[in-house]
Amino acid sequence: MNCLEYRRALLAGAGETEAMRAHRSQCAACSALFDEHAAFEGDLRRALEVPIPAGFEERLANAGAATDRARAAPSVDRRRVLAAAVAAAAAVGVGLYAWRERNDPLALACIEFVMKDEAKSIMMGATPRAEAARVLADSLPLERLERIGQIRHIAPCPFNGGTAYHVVLAVPQDKVTLLIMPDARLEVRERALHDGLYASVIPLRNGSVGIVASNRAVVDSIAGALRSG
Amino acid sequence: MTSPKERLRFEEVVKEHAGDLYRYAFWLVRDRHQAEDVVQEALLRGWRAFPRLRDRAAVKTWLFAIVRNEFYRRIAKDVPYAASVDVAELDIADERPGLFGLEMREALMALPVSYSEPLALQVLGGFSCAEIAAMLETTEGAVMTRLTRARQTLRRLIAPGAAKERRGGRS
Repeated sequence: MNCLEYRRALLAGAGETEAMRAHRSQCAACSALFDEHAAFEGDLRRALEVPIPAGFEERLANAGAATDRARAAPSVDRRRVLAAAVAAAAAVGVGLYAWRERNDPLALACIEFVMKDEAKSIMMGATPRAEAARVLADSLPLERLERIGQIRHIAPCPFNGGTAYHVVLAVPQDKVTLLIMPDARLEVRERALHDGLYASVIPLRNGSVGIVASNRAVVDSIAGALRSG
Repeated sequence: MTSPKERLRFEEVVKEHAGDLYRYAFWLVRDRHQAEDVVQEALLRGWRAFPRLRDRAAVKTWLFAIVRNEFYRRIAKDVPYAASVDVAELDIADERPGLFGLEMREALMALPVSYSEPLALQVLGGFSCAEIAAMLETTEGAVMTRLTRARQTLRRLIAPGAAKERRGGRS
């Protein structure tokens, strides 16, 4: 094992293997990194351990007991419930099938951007809102995005051989990445599902916009809102 | 109806994992009230399905999975996604504080769910990359990539002086 392999494994956080320990024992730099990483992991765990609301476990137990009592009572028409569940499952299945059948290039490029370049783009800094609003006025006015969620970051970035506006939009369920491409005309909607991320690219009045999130329903919802807005 | 013995067993299991399930839900929804709702609803469904759970050794994975399913079930229902924010607060100036030099918890809040979810599953749930991959229906390699990028992003966000360096670099 070399230093690069050691550091990659350490950052993935999966715990130190025998091979990693052997490397660390012979490498002062990786040994120092290990100490620093241990402190980071401690901070990370403490930050993730948000306080549990008072009485939470008791409320869970009470809710369970109440459900049991309710189930003992005469039930609703179970056939109707089952039919609705089957219909819902079929709808979800059809939706997923539609995504898995498609892996269009521009939508796939949007996912690649999120995986490889998004953090770097955010680090480069944001553009003043007024400037972004002026540039995007003819393709996707910011007010339309602000009706959907909170814009956390907006800046131009190189994308797919041209320039796109990279937007991080916070909606209650997720952070969503938008790539607004004022110069990229699109005739039909593109979709991709890769690495657990969903992407949809839809045409705008001028240009197009790629929408990427870890949940299909979020992507579909925002695509629908932008098309109808 | 769940038998008294089953009920007791389920209550024990819930008691053992309730804290981590709540925290996992919190890092999915980023809201303590919604997190509690998600866990409560998920466990009600779990309560009904528990007697049919065959692999009792995998109960912890199963509990996290039903919380996750409940979160995504709610997303599918909650359209459109109108955020409850004041538009007047959306000042996107280039010097806006918030993304740099954050405390760890604030930095975690800035992570997308695609990063924070595997992180919570690994650190809070103690799941391996292979187990997380199975839960997220992706590959082990993709999980490792997300975990690495999550930690790299957090390190950048909490780095002292990052904002200053950024401003200096752009001027």
